[in-house]
Amino acid sequence: MLKAALLIASKDLRLTMGRGSGLLQALLLGLLLIFVFSLSLTPGQRMSAQGAAAIFWMASAFCQVLIFSTLYGLEEINGQRQGLVLAPSPAQGVWLGKALAGLCLLVASQTLFLPATIVFLGQEISDLWRLGLAIVIIGDIGIVAIGSLLGALSQGQSARESLLSIVLFPLLAPLFLGGIRIGSAVFSGKLSEGADGWFGIALAFDAIFVASALALFPSVYNAEE
Amino acid sequence: MAGLYPLAPFLALAGGFLLAACQWLILVYAPTEATLGLPQKIFYLHLPLAWWGLFSFFLVFIASGAYLASRKRFWDVLAGAAAEIGLALAALALISGAIWAKTSWGLWWTWDARLTTTLVMCFIYAGYLVVRGMDMQPDRRARIAAVLGIVAFLDVPLVFFSARLWSYIHPPSISLEPEMKHTLVACIASFALLWLGLLLFRWRLAQDAINLEETTKERLMRRE
Amino acid sequence: MLLQLRDIARFYGSRLVFKGVSLGVRRQSVTLLAGANGAGKSTLLKIMAGLIRPSAGDILMDDGKEAVSVGFLGHMTFLYPELSAMENLRFWAKLHRLALPLSSFEDMLERVDLSAFAGEKAKSFSRGMAQRLNLARVFLPRPALLLLDEPGTGLDTRSTAILHREIASAKADGAGIVWITHSLEDDIARADTVALLADRRLAFSGSVEDYKRRRGALPTSAIEARPDDVNTRMAGGGEPC
Repeated sequence: MLKAALLIASKDLRLTMGRGSGLLQALLLGLLLIFVFSLSLTPGQRMSAQGAAAIFWMASAFCQVLIFSTLYGLEEINGQRQGLVLAPSPAQGVWLGKALAGLCLLVASQTLFLPATIVFLGQEISDLWRLGLAIVIIGDIGIVAIGSLLGALSQGQSARESLLSIVLFPLLAPLFLGGIRIGSAVFSGKLSEGADGWFGIALAFDAIFVASALALFPSVYNAEE
Repeated sequence: MAGLYPLAPFLALAGGFLLAACQWLILVYAPTEATLGLPQKIFYLHLPLAWWGLFSFFLVFIASGAYLASRKRFWDVLAGAAAEIGLALAALALISGAIWAKTSWGLWWTWDARLTTTLVMCFIYAGYLVVRGMDMQPDRRARIAAVLGIVAFLDVPLVFFSARLWSYIHPPSISLEPEMKHTLVACIASFALLWLGLLLFRWRLAQDAINLEETTKERLMRRE
Repeated sequence: MLLQLRDIARFYGSRLVFKGVSLGVRRQSVTLLAGANGAGKSTLLKIMAGLIRPSAGDILMDDGKEAVSVGFLGHMTFLYPELSAMENLRFWAKLHRLALPLSSFEDMLERVDLSAFAGEKAKSFSRGMAQRLNLARVFLPRPALLLLDEPGTGLDTRSTAILHREIASAKADGAGIVWITHSLEDDIARADTVALLADRRLAFSGSVEDYKRRRGALPTSAIEARPDDVNTRMAGGGEPC
């Protein structure tokens, strides 16, 4: 399964990077969101740390929807999904492969969203950056675990981005809250109480959704229309 | 379930009458709460709505798991019926909660763990119903809905704990006097009848559509 | 039997595609599967591949002894437009856990007359070239069961000869082949058995000799799709599946 997953992930990364447009769209959307929110500030004014963190995660969320829509869309062009289903490795390999590729693309996008947040929304990175890095990694794992599970859900659907958004965003609420709280601490340098609670929730989220995706993925990914 | 169905109209009617009777308990029998005053009485309807809404979502979870394990359409239909009712009740719980909040705290909405969880649940199950409404092969749609029904309910405790951690405001917990407790139990129990009646109606409607399809299939299989 | 279908039925919603289909596929044999458009040939082939479930009936592989490797060629080419011919071939081979030396990929491309285009992206390929690459993908792993859905679509005379040669060589290797064709009378010379779908059932299943004897008694709709049907399909890029 791991071999198949790595094979699929590397193929997907080559295709999205090679074609460019796939990731570019997601990146541009995220950057635009950050820029548009900077318009709510008067010149010289700074966005509150919490507001900036919320915008960073919102950009990541929209970016992720486009990423998984693209990744699963790759298998629909010439019916490749049938081929993946026929492969001897378990279907979970497809989930893991797409999740890994999605993680790479999401992290790559966030390395651009972060400076954009700092520049457009007037933020600074405090000494708490290690916490921020940790929550981004833990949060991203949860995001791609569930994104890859539900990305398969939209296969062959029209308007799949909007479908994915309405299903995914509310489910991701716990991760967003944690990400925003910790992100706000990173930008402001003031750590409020309950930081370990947020890491606990984020880790629980990862564990629950990695496990349920592994168990449930074969039910959503198959060759039927 | 099919055996229970003939009871549905009686259950729904009895539930309705009993809830009407509960109004007497609420307005006359139960004492008015000293600090919160009359608006506190919304609570007697708000709590059954919230409880049975949450229970409906739990039923979606159970039925979804049972569907994936057995692949019987019955469970899929039950999950769909429960989700629709759950969403309606949760939405009503939100509205009644907002009215209460407005009168007691002067705000329609506040960041409370339970309120937020209910709102997020409404969003999740509204998305679930959108997925159920999609045009695709019935088997595939049922499988996808089941997966979503499971994932959605697993998310509920996470949403609750994160909302609580976000801001630690609780509505003042009320010490209930015996009359208040009786009234509350009566409301929740009466609501149970209404809930079961609604569920049976909704389930039967969907099941009839499937039976029609199955009958057509059987005829086609038998006809030479 | 390499593959045994017993009393298979399939519905789409409440529309019956076929029922009561029982059919065996032996090793080292070619079975032609024919029928009018919409008779359910592709659906039956997908059921054989395990891509879709039958609504009723059983499928038995190799008398239940062990898993059979399946090669499936459907209406869609499974090609990634942005990958080169060679990369496409290697991706699918790796996914099927084949560790083949580079030379066998080159050899396979040579056999389907594409070695000059090994490094070119699949999106630049014509329909015929894509179909030949698709053939290479299916024949490369030498599967025990080959399921081919109108493999001749889009192929010119020369490429059709390649297809026939590959089918013959797979059969010589011991493969069981199910071949959906829209020109039964042309391909029958290369077949051992014939299966005809008509009127939502298996109208005929048996040896080529039997078929030739009983041809007159079979429903005409099953025997030959009208040529203009075939043309409309080609222009429309194949039926949706």
